[in-house]
Amino acid sequence: MTGLLEIRGARRSFATPEGGRIAALDGVDLDVGANEFVTLLGPSGCGKTTLLRSISGFEALDAGVIRLDGRDIGALPPFRRPVNTVFQSYALFGHMSVARNVGYALEVGGVARAERERAVAEALDKVGLAGFGARRPSQLSGGQRQRVALARAIIGRPRILLLDEPLSALDRNLRQQMQLELKTLQHNLGIAFVFVTHDQEEALTMSDRIVVMRAGRIEQQGSPRDIFRHPRTRFVAEFIGETNLFDVTVDRIEGEVAIGRTAEGLELRLPGAGLTVGRRATAVLRPADFRLAEAGLPVTITRSVYLGQDLNLFAAPAPGGPEIRVTARDAADAPEVGARVHLAYDAAAVHLLEGA
Amino acid sequence: MARRRDRLVLAALLTPVTLFLGVFFLVPLLTIAVFSFLTPGLYGGVEWAFYHWNYGRIFGWADGIMEVFEPVYLRILGRSLSFAAVTVLLCLILCYPVAFWVSRLPERWRLVFLFLITLPFFSSLIVRLYAWLLILKPSGLLNEMLLGIGLIGAPLEILYTPTAVVLGMVYVMIPFMFLPLFAAVDNLDRSLIEASYDLGATRFQTFRKVILPQTLPGIVGGSVIVFIPSVGNFIVPDVLGGAKGLMAGNLVEQQFLSARNWPFGAALSMLIMSVVLIVLVTFVTRLRPKEG
Amino acid sequence: MRNPLGWLLLTLFSLLFFAFIYAPLAVIIGYSFNANPINMMIWDGFTLDWYRGLFGFADRTADPNSRALYVESTDQLIAALKNSLIVAAVTTSVSTVLGTATAIALARYRFRLRGFYRGFLLLPMMMPDIVLGIGLLIFFVTLGMKLSLLTIIIGHCTFLTSYVFIIVQARIAGIDPALEEASADLGASEWVTLRKVLLPQLAPGIVGGALLAFVISMDDLVITYFIAGTDSTTLPVFIFGMIRRGVKPEINAIATLLILASVLIAALGLWLRSRKIDK
Repeated sequence: MTGLLEIRGARRSFATPEGGRIAALDGVDLDVGANEFVTLLGPSGCGKTTLLRSISGFEALDAGVIRLDGRDIGALPPFRRPVNTVFQSYALFGHMSVARNVGYALEVGGVARAERERAVAEALDKVGLAGFGARRPSQLSGGQRQRVALARAIIGRPRILLLDEPLSALDRNLRQQMQLELKTLQHNLGIAFVFVTHDQEEALTMSDRIVVMRAGRIEQQGSPRDIFRHPRTRFVAEFIGETNLFDVTVDRIEGEVAIGRTAEGLELRLPGAGLTVGRRATAVLRPADFRLAEAGLPVTITRSVYLGQDLNLFAAPAPGGPEIRVTARDAADAPEVGARVHLAYDAAAVHLLEGA
Repeated sequence: MARRRDRLVLAALLTPVTLFLGVFFLVPLLTIAVFSFLTPGLYGGVEWAFYHWNYGRIFGWADGIMEVFEPVYLRILGRSLSFAAVTVLLCLILCYPVAFWVSRLPERWRLVFLFLITLPFFSSLIVRLYAWLLILKPSGLLNEMLLGIGLIGAPLEILYTPTAVVLGMVYVMIPFMFLPLFAAVDNLDRSLIEASYDLGATRFQTFRKVILPQTLPGIVGGSVIVFIPSVGNFIVPDVLGGAKGLMAGNLVEQQFLSARNWPFGAALSMLIMSVVLIVLVTFVTRLRPKEG
Repeated sequence: MRNPLGWLLLTLFSLLFFAFIYAPLAVIIGYSFNANPINMMIWDGFTLDWYRGLFGFADRTADPNSRALYVESTDQLIAALKNSLIVAAVTTSVSTVLGTATAIALARYRFRLRGFYRGFLLLPMMMPDIVLGIGLLIFFVTLGMKLSLLTIIIGHCTFLTSYVFIIVQARIAGIDPALEEASADLGASEWVTLRKVLLPQLAPGIVGGALLAFVISMDDLVITYFIAGTDSTTLPVFIFGMIRRGVKPEINAIATLLILASVLIAALGLWLRSRKIDK
């Protein structure tokens, strides 16, 4: 990974209405490689947007450095930074045609008209909007506006394209389609994308690397699979996908497998490596990690939510106790509410949180 | 980073207006304050010496030799306040029902009547007052009509009375009251009214408990906007009011343009200004609807 | 839910309200065509004499019975109109620039004195005309400035800046700040962003504010009355003077023309507002 963008020790705090200060960035280090698709993921207020805006230049850091291609860009105003942004609201200029919107960077950059028109046509073509140049943004659908915003941001061949929750205003189908298109576009353009979202599904689909943020710090970063399968903290485990968390104390070791017991007396088989009796741990089991089987954890189905192909089942090991979420295929023999079934899982697939 | 740059741009945007309003608005107001404590010169000028009898003439501690206490000044100030208050009240009574009516009209007609309300705002104040002069004159339209249908035997004396002054002020202030009221009434959440009826409230209860509190910001805003220019008004009483319709504004004008006692005029306008500031400060600190 | 009788009464009340607003204007317009020179309340046939008199077409010397004897001087009237137009044009330009710049600064930058400026900018508008008028009069005289068109222009700019500020501020509140960020992000400096993005977006507000400033400047009587020099009378002050000297039929003609002009300006304003620049 060649270091394209390098952020070290980024700090930024804001005054709160109550008169205090809140840290939006609390010592963040981040690297983005050339041609990498990095997603900043986190709940609102975690600092992801502040981080993005300090790359684009709309927020000044209180401390820390931002280097692009080895050059410190922290003191440059936004219009001198070779990065472009796709805004959440698209921010299309309503008083200009689509073509003028797309060609804006070249227009203010002093590129000659003929060259500009050629580049605009090419950019519109790239996002599948060839022939829309003469229209006004108001005459376009939400998805089309999104594409115009995209074309406008890539026309100047930025070193990095920043995307600030650009898909949040689209409906579900369009959003999924755009996710794929964005990924393809990024691949074809060969420029790095830094994408901000609070939607974990979006992050998992598109990213080369996910950076999970929380309260102004980076909680964990890694590939989507890594983040999903091996969350390091309870926060990451709960934020990414649906999850069952079990706080257990190791009761005994049986060969490769350790047996952990929860406060309610539920026994779970865990990968034994490195565990000793009496140790406390948090076990992570995704709903899809469970299978309905003949033997295993005995549970009662308490609720069943129909999702189309799948069922979301809530299963209680003991009456009135905590429920386990299980994903099951919807089939003729799917268990009804009230049914007694057994849950099986692979002990080696159970992930343990560090230092729980 | 660009914080320094932002500060430069901000300074470029704000310096001209700061200098302009500082020099040509704040300084003149301060000059009034200073002049109100200066000695009037014998032939219309001022002498740069401290003098508190300008206020003494108004409030009663005049020396009785050069300056004489005249209760008439306080009376006229009181009259200005009560005229302004009556004007506010009448504007409110006239505009409130009409604002409701306009807000309930179909879209097309709403726009037409809103336009009709704003139109007088665009036409000359002096022309509109002049029209009332024509109507209220002893030989004016109103008297001709009333005499014509035999309702009265002799022309009514309306012109040059307090009635004429208040009528004229109400007339010119109506758009200022109507627009804030309309904004409040039009923003009224109709489901709240329906909820109130649904929960068993009568018309009157609904008005008092739901509609009135919801439109209060418009009522207060409109009242402040009408009250302030009414207190210091001198054109309306000048055109339509006689000796009995004289207001504080006329006193100030006389001191400046006929009596040529500028310090005394300045003291009088300090009183007008303080009334306005009291109303404004009360509005901002107490009555203004909370933002956000 | 709606009570038909109540609605009927409300409609009746409202129509009377509008009649109250428009009757006086109708009276003036009617009288301006009344040929009776002695008592304009008594209809004596249709005439355009008062209009002709205004523009100096009625020859007083040739026809000793000519009725158009009242306007002091057509030249004075034209001069007053010219003064008003000059003042309004210059005032509108200056206050539009000042008011717009302030609105942009307060909407787009966070700084400590923001709350202060917000209140400060409203003060000139809320200050009673007469206080501002005599304040400026004392100020100019103390400084030894000769009362002229310049002093009127300065006086008008103080409170009209407030009006423009309010109108533009309302407009700018509805503009997504991301538009300007997008422009900067795409390489435009502050100045280019102002020219290519913010001003075009603000245009309806700026035009509306300028229009309002123009109308109020043309109509201002009180402040102008105090700070106008003898040779710098504006139209409202001129008419005020005429009315003070007595009611004359020519005033009806001037008033009718002014009403006509205001209808045109208001219609222009409405048209500009209804033209949807964005969306």
